[in-house]
Amino acid sequence: MNSSMEPKQPLSEYQANLEILMQLPLFAGLPLEPLKVLAYLCKRETFRPEEIMFHEHEVDSNAYYILEGTAELVSERDGDAELTAFGEREFIGSMALFCDLKRLFTLRAKTKVVCVTLSRDKFQKVVERFPEITGRMVQSILLGVHAWEERFLREHALTCGDCRKMIGVSLV
Amino acid sequence: MITRRPLIYWVKTSSVKLQVLLLIVIAVNIAARVFPLQMQRMIVNEAIGLKKIDLLFLYCGLYLAAVLVASALKFVINTIQTYLGQETLSRLRKELYAHILTLPISFFRKASSGMVVSSLVTEVVSAGELVGQAIAVPVNNILTLLAFAGYMFYLNPLLAALSLGIYPIVILVVPRLQKHSNRANKMRVDVTRDLSSKIGETVSGIHEVQGNASYRIENRKYGEFVDRLFKIRIVWNMYKQGIKVLNNLFQSIGPIILFVVGGYLAINGRFDLGALVAFLSAYEKLYDPWKELMDFYQVYQDATTGYQRLMEYFDVEPEHALEPPPDREPYEFEGNIHAQDLSFTVAGGIQLLKQVNLDLKPGEQLALVGFSGSGKSTLAQCIAQLYSYTGGSVLIDGKEVSQLTKRDLAENMGIVAQSPYIFDGSFKENLCYSCEALLEGNAEKERKLPSLDEMIEVVQQVGLFVDVLRFGLNAVLAANQEAELVTKIIRIRENFQKHFGEKLADYVEFFDEKRYLDYSSVAANLTFGSPNSKEFTQERLAENQYFLQFLDEAQLKRPLISLGRELASQFLDILGDLPPDEVFFKESPVSVDELEDYKELIERIGHSRIHELTPDDQRLLLRLALRFTPGIHKMATLPEMLRNLILEGRFLFMAKIQQDHPGALSFYRISDYIHSLTILDNILFGKTTSDHPNAQDRINQSIIHLLIEEDLLERIVEIGMDFKVGTKGDRLSGGQRQKLAIARVFLKKPPILIMDEATSALDNASQKRIQTLLETRWKGKSTLISVVHRLDTIKGYDKVAVMKAGKILEMGSYQELLAKKGVLYELVHGAKAAAQ
Repeated sequence: MNSSMEPKQPLSEYQANLEILMQLPLFAGLPLEPLKVLAYLCKRETFRPEEIMFHEHEVDSNAYYILEGTAELVSERDGDAELTAFGEREFIGSMALFCDLKRLFTLRAKTKVVCVTLSRDKFQKVVERFPEITGRMVQSILLGVHAWEERFLREHALTCGDCRKMIGVSLV
Repeated sequence: MITRRPLIYWVKTSSVKLQVLLLIVIAVNIAARVFPLQMQRMIVNEAIGLKKIDLLFLYCGLYLAAVLVASALKFVINTIQTYLGQETLSRLRKELYAHILTLPISFFRKASSGMVVSSLVTEVVSAGELVGQAIAVPVNNILTLLAFAGYMFYLNPLLAALSLGIYPIVILVVPRLQKHSNRANKMRVDVTRDLSSKIGETVSGIHEVQGNASYRIENRKYGEFVDRLFKIRIVWNMYKQGIKVLNNLFQSIGPIILFVVGGYLAINGRFDLGALVAFLSAYEKLYDPWKELMDFYQVYQDATTGYQRLMEYFDVEPEHALEPPPDREPYEFEGNIHAQDLSFTVAGGIQLLKQVNLDLKPGEQLALVGFSGSGKSTLAQCIAQLYSYTGGSVLIDGKEVSQLTKRDLAENMGIVAQSPYIFDGSFKENLCYSCEALLEGNAEKERKLPSLDEMIEVVQQVGLFVDVLRFGLNAVLAANQEAELVTKIIRIRENFQKHFGEKLADYVEFFDEKRYLDYSSVAANLTFGSPNSKEFTQERLAENQYFLQFLDEAQLKRPLISLGRELASQFLDILGDLPPDEVFFKESPVSVDELEDYKELIERIGHSRIHELTPDDQRLLLRLALRFTPGIHKMATLPEMLRNLILEGRFLFMAKIQQDHPGALSFYRISDYIHSLTILDNILFGKTTSDHPNAQDRINQSIIHLLIEEDLLERIVEIGMDFKVGTKGDRLSGGQRQKLAIARVFLKKPPILIMDEATSALDNASQKRIQTLLETRWKGKSTLISVVHRLDTIKGYDKVAVMKAGKILEMGSYQELLAKKGVLYELVHGAKAAAQ
């Protein structure tokens, strides 16, 4: 990489994207070639405060990595109140890279939000060229689901009544 | 059917005139080839033997003439042969393609597209070429053989019989050897395949090999294959060479017999010397046609087996006739659909549909719901004749669907598939695809195609209007055209700045002579204007001597070349080894066609210094740098210093060019149309900085407003209709593709509509829009069968059918079914709610 030889030169957006992807669990284990292409295909988006990043019930085919700012997750079921918030260095929405899913929530910028996005169209182009990466990525998602349920069992599931019925995500 | 035709059919149906002509030419040619032999004999016996110079020249002249004629005729024969072969090849290609298009959908589930492609592109070639040779080669060579043999018999029957006696032996021996050779060849193919898979295995498992240091094991295994191949190849080659040697041997023995017997006869005075020379020549000339016949035999064998295999592959009957019989027009249906005990069983006895009954009056709308795999799509596809049901019946206006022709259905039915296919071409061509299909071949096609108004209406209905408008806005207007349009756009620009300039400042980078433009190229930043002469177009600046001089003067040349080099090597590092795909080139200064050039350049220059590069190489790199647009090309950054230099350069350039070449460029001025930029950029007088839907929405809203004021909306949409959608509609989003597929069916206004999850890729608003459209515009006009994946859209349907495991469990209006608290109720409210 050029950056190591010329430390004064600021990183290009592509190089910055590459560094980000390499740190994300979903992409971390992938070979460098597809990673480079993915980093190259990522885009930067800026959202103003209050701007909707994706809508509940609507298909959105992007994954987001937040570079700066905070975005809140809301649902009309809950009267548009904040359910949770995502801040810097958080990565969300990667399931959209694999298939059409209608969002279950609305994501709204709380402050000005700058993020790196990757769209399914582009991601799929890379998968066409490097079909072997899907296996690893699916594995990483499944491990995530598994870890989530493990934590759920440990922390809530057995103690709260209604939660018991929800056990079994990792058995999909 | 084409697949049942033997290869000989193509010979029979090729141009009879040409074949006859060919035979005549061949006959003349053979005469022209035998004639020199007679000349040889006469030259030796009469001219040389009797020492007559004039006869010598006469005979030699005739000899030469015969040779010239024979060569010319040979060329004619080859030309006719080639023409026949190629003509057959194109017929074969067209007819096979037409046949493949009509094959049942189920065929394509099994067939790979690669197989279909290679069949039509390469595999038909040998069969086609064989047809060209089929008559010419055997006839020509057999006749030649006979002619030479006949001449030999004419000279001396005994000698002829003796020397030709060898050939029957060859005919007996060679095929046997050939059989062995073929067997060895087959083994060679098999072992080569094993060898390749062994190599493949080693490569993918190389880490294990190195980790275990199992070099010796792998070498041994690999060596075994190589050794086997070694033996087989030797055997194979020995047979091949054996055949050759044997052929030659027999060929060489002939003259010995000739000399022994012929010489003996000549010495005894029973045979003249000239005849002996002619005899020898004739014998030698036998070899060529003989060899050609043998080769033809080989080609014939290969081509016929290849042809048979090819035709077997596509030997499937189309299930339905394409056109109605000539004495009947295509039906015009009202849209009654009646299914009785409809069932569909596929191979393995799996029943996908079981005794389905349904009844729809014209204009009624039916929603099919149920889990995936319940047979919804299958039912819709059986009604649409895409699958041939195996039991029961489906009647449209009393006519059995399986008996209808494809044309009858296309005239009356519009089908929106689950994943619709969009063809390469313009948006308009795709929009009119269904309408055009019915009119193809019709003399009044142009007149009958939908009008622009109709197209705009349907595009608006399905919610593509803004998209098409956008395509139009992104078009570049040719210079000196549409003067009126241009003046209006300038007016819109002024209003845009006035009303929306500040509001949209976040999304637009306005042209400002004092600022560096991140969303314009380096070239645009330097010239800051649109060219009026070819030499100053941005693409040609790198070749423009005046501009290069200016770059030198502005101290920009070297830094830019260095930037170009960084861009090229970064880009190649990321994408150099991938097969080119448009998507990868959108955000790159390198275009698809140039990829190879830059790859070669970067490899060649290696670590050379800039001053060591040839001017041509420098120019290539400079070209990239001039295209560099920091806002779009993210693989490199523009150093602050260079940015300032370029900005300074802009003013230097302005001053210089106004003095040296006034009028070469028009600087960006708010009052002038810029012909090198898109309509949108002209209106904005700047570049958009984001293509995110949110940003686009805001810009669109403001622009639409202004376009309406100037009455330009439809004109821009018309321009947008010519947008090229790319292969498979690549340049459209999934939603756009689905809307386009719906629009093209709506435009046809069919009495029956089949929609198979036609809105699955659409967002909520678009889905609702289509649903409302179906309920208001199409209800009562077209019978609709809609496979539905979302239950919130089914309230407006006249009937809802709930399917499970190939059966309709219940059918009725939405309210009826909910009141019944049956399966639909369960689906809508969840199983648990129903149980309570």
